[in-house]
Amino acid sequence: MQVGLLSTYRNPVQNRAAMAWLWALLLMAFYIDLYFFDHLDVAARLVHLPSKWTLYGLLYSVAMCVGGYFMLRKHGSSRYHQVRTAVLVAVQCTLGFLLPLALDFMGRPAYYFSYFFPLKYDILFPGTLKDMPVAVAIWFIAGSFVGVPLLVFYKGKRAYCSWICGCGGLAETFGDPWRHLSDKSDRAWRVEQISIYMVLALVFVMFGLVIGDAYAADGSAVRAVAQHTRSFYSFAIGSVFSGVLGTGLYPLMGTRVWCRFGCPMAAVLGLIQKFGRFRVTVKKDMCIACGNCSTYCEMGIDVRAYAMANQDFKRASCVGCGMCAHVCPRGVLRLETRDDAGPHEAIGTWTLDL
Amino acid sequence: MAVAAPHHVIVGNSIAGIEAAITLRNRDRSARITVISAEHPHPFARVSLMYVFCGQLSLKDTQFYPEDLYDRMRFERVTDRVVAVDAAQRTLRLMSGATLAFDTLLLAVGSTARKLPWSNAYADPALPRLVHHFVTLNDLHALDAAAKPGMSVAVIGGGLIGVEAAEVLQQRGLKTHFLIREPWYFPVALDAQESGMVAEHMRGHGVDCRTECSVQGLERAGSKVRLLGPELEVDLVVGAIGVEPATAFLAGSGIALNPETGGVETKDNLESTSCRGIFAAGDCAQVTWLDGSRRPEQLWYTSRDQGRIAAAAMLGDDVCYRRGTWYNSAKFFDVEYTTAGFLPPERTPAGSGWQTWFQRAPDRAVSQRIVVRNGAVKGFNGLGGRWNHNVWMQWIQQRRSLEWVLAHMNEARFDEEFTSPFTVLPSAALTEGA
Ligand SMILES: Cc1cc2nc3c(=O)[nH]c(=O)nc-3n(C[C@H](O)[C@H](O)[C@H](O)COP(=O)(O)OP(=O)(O)OC[C@H]3O[C@@H](n4cnc5c(N)ncnc54)[C@H](O)[C@@H]3O)c2cc1C
Ligand code: SF4
Ligand code: SF4
Ligand code: SF4
Repeated sequence: MQVGLLSTYRNPVQNRAAMAWLWALLLMAFYIDLYFFDHLDVAARLVHLPSKWTLYGLLYSVAMCVGGYFMLRKHGSSRYHQVRTAVLVAVQCTLGFLLPLALDFMGRPAYYFSYFFPLKYDILFPGTLKDMPVAVAIWFIAGSFVGVPLLVFYKGKRAYCSWICGCGGLAETFGDPWRHLSDKSDRAWRVEQISIYMVLALVFVMFGLVIGDAYAADGSAVRAVAQHTRSFYSFAIGSVFSGVLGTGLYPLMGTRVWCRFGCPMAAVLGLIQKFGRFRVTVKKDMCIACGNCSTYCEMGIDVRAYAMANQDFKRASCVGCGMCAHVCPRGVLRLETRDDAGPHEAIGTWTLDL
Repeated sequence: MAVAAPHHVIVGNSIAGIEAAITLRNRDRSARITVISAEHPHPFARVSLMYVFCGQLSLKDTQFYPEDLYDRMRFERVTDRVVAVDAAQRTLRLMSGATLAFDTLLLAVGSTARKLPWSNAYADPALPRLVHHFVTLNDLHALDAAAKPGMSVAVIGGGLIGVEAAEVLQQRGLKTHFLIREPWYFPVALDAQESGMVAEHMRGHGVDCRTECSVQGLERAGSKVRLLGPELEVDLVVGAIGVEPATAFLAGSGIALNPETGGVETKDNLESTSCRGIFAAGDCAQVTWLDGSRRPEQLWYTSRDQGRIAAAAMLGDDVCYRRGTWYNSAKFFDVEYTTAGFLPPERTPAGSGWQTWFQRAPDRAVSQRIVVRNGAVKGFNGLGGRWNHNVWMQWIQQRRSLEWVLAHMNEARFDEEFTSPFTVLPSAALTEGA
């Protein structure tokens, strides 16, 4: 029994009851207003903040602090969760809020130093790079193509998705009460494998067009197509998918809808993870099939199937939150990055191809 | 002339039954396989009863194979109770009155709670609603409906099911009395120091944990039950004094049962000693233990292994079921427990060649015990941490010395990252005897 998880299935807010739908509607309404209207700018000025985005950063940080507090009340017996949650919240409060705010007050453009390409796709657009101080440009380029990939190769996708990224940060703290709602079906896994690479492809197409656009003549077809693609991506993916749905669906489909089905960064980091060192190892022959690990996996990975089959696994989608290991009452699972014993992928004790 | 595909019938769809069915199907694509269960149409993890009770998991979360398993595996599903088996005619009768013919039969009927030994506990028409168990789904539903915050409950029996029941009842807000007959909790596996630590931990959670508390009988006292012996009045009683094979319906079938345990007597390949083509696996089967004794092994993993072995035997393989080195794990409230190898359940005195190494963290419920005989480690108990039993078992096999093991203990750790490593504490002591 995990003290914090008691009665997960008794709380209407956590079980898609009317209250949960209300939460979902509220969250979606908030994001629609944030992206498409100006009310929050008015509110921001009232509290003397430069723009609605700073106000959003403040609210986001508060949500993560409060969520982080409750998350640790549940899972704080684990040092892994203590350290991880502290780092996540600290990164959000500093790199995700205070530093941009300070830059803003200094009259400089507000950079969010914890977000990299391709999640934050526009930082590497030629037009954006041109205006950046060289050091900042180097930070973003080196971070996107060297720093984060290396970190992920050695430590797993979790190094970014469960330790740094603000989107993951909100999911791990504020979203924690809903993590068990992720879809565990094979069908969801199939959809995820297609949708996430589609978004990634779209990013690359858009990027190619924007670069083409930089060299294209005024009024050329490339320019128009580039413009359209950019605004489509910004609207459909950037605002609707990652924001309105990504967060709005927390109370209905669990916390990682965007991370699992859409995030282009997740697609890239997942591929690096497959070749990297990180894996979840299974203590042989100790699983009692109880189901805690699969239930509390926010990425909808059927961890139990691997545990029952005695198979260590590397899954591209695993964000290394460590919850499967933490909630296992028999200590069957462990996140590992040691450079030995190769990964195992297939599950096969009961599958049958007729 | 085409030979009709054999009809394998499996009674019980829990881990032993379903693993057998899957093994059969993977080996034989054309066989007819019928899986019967009275409890639930789909296999679920019995070990998760406590999580369902406390709302940590839904019953569906405990279903350890996908919903479409029966369709994909082409198992015929019968949700009914078998009330009699006719071994000579090779048929069985269902509660609904229908009969079913089989070519081979697997009994994977598991266990039910051992009843409390006082006849009035079940005879008094008012008592049954007050006396509960914690083994089947029906037990779960009944206890779930009866247990209300503010009530008091006595859990009788100091084993693994008892501690789980006590934990979830206490958490629900019932005043929980955990009554243990033995001098300390779980004496077959824990020694006095370990058990004392666990009892301390349980008391810290508010459970009234009483050892050497022998209940002599039950009596009604108004709407409550009085326990004779401890003279305790409670609203509910949970009998957790063990489980026994659910084989009562086999009486008179010709299938030999052990008169003491009620387990189905089996040969090495898990076939009934008295009836050819009838097999038993899981909690209900009488099997040979490492020490040569014969009794049922009421564990999840051994039931799984037995199901697979029995299926191979049903297909005519020459197989033999033998339990390897003992290992197990459990959780006492927040204290995780792992064990491997052999730790003498009865106190062996100094001079017997046994030695015990033990240490306990001063401030937390964390301890390790290692027993040694003739210079080689024989068994490990770890409380309050995670250990890889496979590594321990390897060391036992390699006859490693205590010094070597203590120097390598961190290789057997399986804790979450950032957990402090194993160190030998100043309190560590090696004593004679085990
Ligand atoms: C609360 C609890 C906690 C446990 N925790 C652990 C643990 O942590 N680790 C561990 O190793 N083990 C644990 N166990 C033991 C473990 O659950 C059993 O060893 C295991 O379930 C045995 O599996 P089985 O397939 O033999 O039978 P069972 O799981 O007992 O299932 C037998 C099935 O057969 C059906 N059946 C019986 N008779 C008939 C009939 N006449 N007609 C039709 N169907 C019938 C029953 O309805 C049932 O579905 C625990 C048990 C309990 C009750
Ligand atoms: S998947 Fe994408 S949005 Fe989610 S945590 Fe990872 S990088 Fe951030
Ligand atoms: S598999 Fe485990 S570590 Fe990976 S995302 Fe799921 S719960 Fe987190
Ligand atoms: S790995 Fe652990 S949590 Fe998952 S099903 Fe097995 S015992 Fe339960």
